[in-house]
This record gives sequence, C-alpha cells and structure tokens, in this order.
Amino acid sequence: MSANKQDRAFVITRHFDAALPHVWKAWSTAAEMQSWWGPKGCSIKVAAFEFRPGGFFHYAMHFPEREPMWGRFLYRNIDKHTRITWLNSFSNETCGITRAPFDMAIPLEILNDVRFAETNGSTIVTLRALPHGASEDEIKTFEGMTASLAEGYGGTFDQLAAVLAKSA
Amino acid sequence: MAENTIDATFAALADPTRRAILARLAKGAATVNELARPFDMSQPAISKHLKVLERAGLISRTREGQTRPCRLETAPLKQVDQWVGNYRTLWEDSFDRLSQHLKSKPKR
Repeated sequence: MSANKQDRAFVITRHFDAALPHVWKAWSTAAEMQSWWGPKGCSIKVAAFEFRPGGFFHYAMHFPEREPMWGRFLYRNIDKHTRITWLNSFSNETCGITRAPFDMAIPLEILNDVRFAETNGSTIVTLRALPHGASEDEIKTFEGMTASLAEGYGGTFDQLAAVLAKSA
Repeated sequence: MAENTIDATFAALADPTRRAILARLAKGAATVNELARPFDMSQPAISKHLKVLERAGLISRTREGQTRPCRLETAPLKQVDQWVGNYRTLWEDSFDRLSQHLKSKPKR
C-alpha cells in the first residue's frame, strides 16, 4: 500500500480518447483551456494567454457568491506536441505573484511538467508537480515520509528512517 | 504556524545531513551530541542544521537538564501531504472535464 502511495505522489497520468493535436490544442488555446482547467465549482475567465516561454496565462477563478481569486501560469518550456513546463501560483489582478488567499499551506510556486504521447489515436498525458526549488531527493524524502505517516504513528518510523537513510 | 511552511519544509529537506538527522530522529529522540557523533561534524555545525529544522517545525527541542533532546515533529509533513492531496484533486477534476471537453469536439 505504501509503495503504491509513493508512486502516486506528485505524478498524475491520464489517457484521453483523442488524437494528440486535439489534446494539445486544449492546452494551448485560451478558449479551450478555460473550459476545462481549474478547481471544481469555479468558472475561469482568462485575462491573458501568452502561450510561449516567458509568457503568462493569467486568469480569474469565479466561485458563486465570492470574490474572484486570481492565478497565473508562467510558461517556461514549450515543446510542441511533447511537453509544457510552467510555474503555477496565485496572483493578484495585475498578475503579480501572491500567496494563497485562504488559510491553507500551499507552496508559493509549483513547478509543473506535463508530457504528451500518442499511441493508436489516444493520448497519454503525464503531469509531474513539485514545489518550485525542491529537488527530486527532497521529493523522495517527502514521499517516504508520507508513506510512513499513512501507516499511522505513535511508535517509531522504521520505514521513514530507511527512506531518509537512503536519500542522505 | 508560518504560512510558508511547505516551502520551509522542502528547503529544510534540501540538505543530506538534515535528512540524515531526521532519519535518526525517526527512530526516537536524541541529544545534539548523539546526533553529531555519526557525522564527523562539530557540535556547532550540527546545531546550525538543527536550527533550520526547528524553524521549519520539523523538530522540537525540550529542556531536560543540561541536554536538550530533539524530537521529530510530523505536523509540517502532514501539511505537505494535505497539499499533495488537494493538488491531485484539482488535476483529477480538471482531467475529468478535459476528457468531457475532448469528447464533445468533432474529430477534425
């Protein structure tokens, strides 16, 4: 069970029954992006969509009867039909970076890396995400820790100790 | 708790010595001397690492006479775990909608 949990952390894979160019278009155009991306229950209004390295996707998240929250993607690498990397964070109306506008611990910036691959007309999308600045080793450490935590605690953390020792 | 705990947690984990210290503390509380021994490091050097871990909320130190045993604190790790869960949900929901969105489009 714990191994399973480790595999899951920060990596999401999904098969889409669509050709790669269609999937790519859903990620690379404002009209399509705002129709599917975002937290549940909110509607996205695009303020800026600059799909190029160094460009911003700046959007408002509208929830019923609440002030809109703002967010942004800062695109880093775009490799057509293959890969997109970007930094995601909350922002203000003028696209300046901000902390989450609610009381929850969230990394200031999240580095996302999504890869696309087509097989027999369907498209596999794999997203990896980690706090910006964190390394693979830190993630591995953390994954070991959460796996250990998931088993409950109160005694010692043998598994955690083993994982930490390995990554040290 | 500081609002940037998650970033502080990961920053604290960035150093292999600090990860090793946490590995030791996962087995139970230990004093600075006990922690310094296996690392071939001076006590001040270890103390510096402990301060980083303490600031990130990953360890706590209590006064017990002259020694101040360090203990592993799991609250920051649980916070990160919660964020991971929320972030997963965000993307699972979005991918559900993306799947619907792609189905609704003609295969041009």
